Amino acid sequence: MSDEKVSRRDLLKVAGVAAAAVAGLQIIQKANASESAPTGGRQWAMVIDQSQCTGCGYCVMACRAHNDIPPDITWNPVIEAGQVGDQKVYLPRPCMQCAKAPCVEVCPVKASYYRPDGIVMMDYDRCIGCRYCEVACPYGARSFNWKKFDGPNPAVPEWGEPEVPRRPRGVPEKCAFCYQRIDRGLQLGLEPGVDEDATPACVVACPTGARVFGDLNDPNSAVSRLLKSNPHFRLREDLGTAPRVYYLPPKAEG
Amino acid sequence: MKASNIKSFFGSAWGRWISILSLFLVMGLGAGLIVFWKGLSVTHLSDLVPWGLWITIDLSSIALAGGAFFLCAGVYLLGLKQYQPVARTATFIGLAGYTMAMLALMLDIGRPDRFWHAIIYWNEHSLLWEVTMCVCLYLTVLVLEVLPILSSFDWLRKHFPVIAEKLEGVHHYAPYLAIVGLCLSMLHQSSLGAIYGVLKARPYWFRPDIAVLFIMSAIAGGMALTVFASMLSARLTKRAVIKDELLDRVAYFVGWIMVAYLYFRFWDALSMTYTYEAGRTEGLNILTSGVLSFNFWFGEMLLGAVLPIIILLRKKTRSNPVLRMIALALIVGGVVAYRWDTNLSGLLVLVSYMPGEPTVRYTMYRPSIIEWIAGLGIISYGLTLFSLGVRYLHVVDHRIYEQERQTAKVESAETATA
Repeated sequence: MSDEKVSRRDLLKVAGVAAAAVAGLQIIQKANASESAPTGGRQWAMVIDQSQCTGCGYCVMACRAHNDIPPDITWNPVIEAGQVGDQKVYLPRPCMQCAKAPCVEVCPVKASYYRPDGIVMMDYDRCIGCRYCEVACPYGARSFNWKKFDGPNPAVPEWGEPEVPRRPRGVPEKCAFCYQRIDRGLQLGLEPGVDEDATPACVVACPTGARVFGDLNDPNSAVSRLLKSNPHFRLREDLGTAPRVYYLPPKAEG
Repeated sequence: MKASNIKSFFGSAWGRWISILSLFLVMGLGAGLIVFWKGLSVTHLSDLVPWGLWITIDLSSIALAGGAFFLCAGVYLLGLKQYQPVARTATFIGLAGYTMAMLALMLDIGRPDRFWHAIIYWNEHSLLWEVTMCVCLYLTVLVLEVLPILSSFDWLRKHFPVIAEKLEGVHHYAPYLAIVGLCLSMLHQSSLGAIYGVLKARPYWFRPDIAVLFIMSAIAGGMALTVFASMLSARLTKRAVIKDELLDRVAYFVGWIMVAYLYFRFWDALSMTYTYEAGRTEGLNILTSGVLSFNFWFGEMLLGAVLPIIILLRKKTRSNPVLRMIALALIVGGVVAYRWDTNLSGLLVLVSYMPGEPTVRYTMYRPSIIEWIAGLGIISYGLTLFSLGVRYLHVVDHRIYEQERQTAKVESAETATA
């Protein structure tokens, strides 16, 4: 009698452990597969030529206007990065649109996600404002809306007209390669990186052509050709985040 | 008649205690409303230090609620039935702690109106999602575990005896709840540390040890708070009745857990000194010789670990109730200090992403007045809940052994008389 009871109990135990193991494995598999790096046909990337950048900040202002960013937030700062010869060197820093983005990995609600074309997007309507992404980003690319942005945008209309809705208070915001310009441009049959209306505002605004935008999968795009023929680097490549913003280092000229 | 009632209420120690707590509660509520109205701009949090005091309160209250899962596992899974009344206290403290954590999180997230999104939109890859799910599920477990305790409410017993009996009946499932609680707690108590540990952008945190240290300190801190609160209650009110030999054993065990914790902590910290790594070394420097060094050496190490270990492991000092209580309170303080230090030593150091060798920049954070008032409000809520539990629900009463099943009834009766 008691033997039978024990064996049933053991059976239940084994079944329980097996069920837990299956469930655990599935979660692990899902966790590994979830939000894998994007593999769409077109992969947008930006090349920034540091030898061309004069630090004028036009890109910052155009970005503020087209994306309706509050004055105390910068998606795309231009940072002084030392000197080569007697030339000051600048490093503009948009969101890196990492192929393995820490922010996408840590977001508890998938408010940060990959578009098939590689852009790391924010769903501002889903975000709960926990700021884990902000803590996780190695590039400081995210800014939290500590207060509501109401009132006029000082960059408008001088630098352009807003193309996206303002973000609400309580969510972090960041650069998304002006996805709205890309999407609308493609609908109109334009080519991002070639036609201005389909290209990120900072690229269009740059007076020296230091910024180049295009499709990494297209060997004839401007970005592909620049990367093929020039030495280049990405920020903190050691972290394995695989950014889609490439830099051409400044050239030391006599 | 009524005026004299009010007078005697405020004249009693209980009345004064509840009045003080209520004052802090009301102030905290006011601060909370300001946060919801004005947004997080009323805090001193920034894009460089986005997590601060409230996260510390959140982490600490979950850690200090850790006595619940551990003692319930001991009582219902290992069969240490004599500790059942201690587990009862721990369970109630657990409920207080987890609801405190929920309150702190509601303040801290930028969109409290969307707190439920984590339950609907799953990112299985995110540790924060896993923690949120575990905490929600475990809070459910805690509520179920507390239902039998509610049946001790004299008023309920008198007016609704059927409901009281039904609530008491939930205790039948205590062993199953203990299993679920153990699994969920093992997951999220350590994952809370791993939330920090997985961030490669923050070299000071980027190591596996924080997860282990978080669960160990939660076990020690949770039990320490349970024993401390029980002893303090018994000193302050006749409604709390303790069996000192039970608490003495638990306190002794806490001492040994602290030894293990200190051992792991020592190697964790020491291994960070082997090489220079940008961000990690500076984080350790902040902790051991920078702005957090007083917290670290006194709050965490000397007062938070070494002194209580000595007091709790020596029979002579442990038997002295005042010394034992001091030791346990110091452990609780040490656990809180550890959460605060862990959060800040990672956030006060910023590793640059500029090309070349990574360089380091320092940031600052001091909580704003609103953060303090709201935080104190949350703590007073926890104290109020526990005080009411002691007064009306016999939360600290070591004469109460709840009955599970027929077989358990006999056993518990035996231990009670033994």
